[in-house]
Amino acid sequence: MGWAPLVMVLMLMATANLKAQGRTGSAQLTISMDVTPSISLVFQNNSNVGNTGFCPLTNAGTNNVGLDLGSASITGDTSSCVNYTLNWAGWNYQVSSAFEVVVSKANSSSPNYRLSAEISTAPPANVTWLLSNVTLNNTTFTALDTADTYGQSVTKTLQVQVGLFAPAQTLQETITFLATAN
Amino acid sequence: MRLRSILRALCLPATLALLVCPLRAWGQVTSTGYINATLINRSGIAVIFDSNSGGVSLGGNASSAASLNFGAISAFGALSPGVTRPSVGANSFTVQSLFNVQVIEGGLGSPNYTLSAQLATPAPTGFTYQVDTISLSTTAQTIQSNGTYNTDVQHTLDLLVLSAAPSAGGPAVGTPLTTTINFTATSN
Repeated sequence: MGWAPLVMVLMLMATANLKAQGRTGSAQLTISMDVTPSISLVFQNNSNVGNTGFCPLTNAGTNNVGLDLGSASITGDTSSCVNYTLNWAGWNYQVSSAFEVVVSKANSSSPNYRLSAEISTAPPANVTWLLSNVTLNNTTFTALDTADTYGQSVTKTLQVQVGLFAPAQTLQETITFLATAN
Repeated sequence: MRLRSILRALCLPATLALLVCPLRAWGQVTSTGYINATLINRSGIAVIFDSNSGGVSLGGNASSAASLNFGAISAFGALSPGVTRPSVGANSFTVQSLFNVQVIEGGLGSPNYTLSAQLATPAPTGFTYQVDTISLSTTAQTIQSNGTYNTDVQHTLDLLVLSAAPSAGGPAVGTPLTTTINFTATSN
């Protein structure tokens, strides 16, 4: 009779202990990393896009874009955004379109960068690919600029010069741009 | 003297016989002892880290002292497996990894737990650490208030990194940086 209340109290205390709140457990997660400087290059449409000489890029804002220069001949180009000029003295015509190159940097103390470009395949006879009047080839990167400013767009004009006697054909190149931190 | 010698000769074997014979008889006697053992099984909770299939493989996986190595990180370059780069802004970029926390409880009547985290030391220059978008400091921050026991709970670790050069307030480059995050689970 005398033990019953004590046993009940002990049971209640045990139950209360089992449901105790505020028990804690801890663990440690160690994070490590190594920051490296980097730069990026993207192509953007020129603010005059759509006007003559400024065709729209497909996938603008990335580093892998398309530029359609339409269909050209001695009589002109089917695409109104293409700047077409016929050069009788040089026995060729030229189509061109301008776009923007933007190079950004991160975690780098590089003051500026140099820009070069290379075409993917050798062009057929009487066809020349140029960037802002600098002729490109498929064997080496050709220097375009030596000290461009990060974060500022640089306007480049792609030109294709086609001899008047070049056979009808599709002209296609992949032009690789290379920005190198100075 | 002769008698004493005779008695000594007779007595010694007799004494030995008396000693040996009772020993052989008492060898069948057994004795029993008892140990009264007691174990108090206390309630408690433990926290472990598990790798997440969408994140970096943890060092010390399934332990309470794990490591997560982002490897080389940059705003534009390649990243290690399991590391993603959800954003690149003008002044900073973010790299991210998933990881799991499992809180194991024993002997508790607690329905769930509260998870908090804090940096063991201030973040290195140019870094902000976030778990589930909650910025961490050396003061404990609540990450989750109703975690489920005994199962992996996915969490997201974001490192916000300034893009500035080291000389302009950005993080050190080309140097391995390490920070420890302390996690605490508290039963509700």
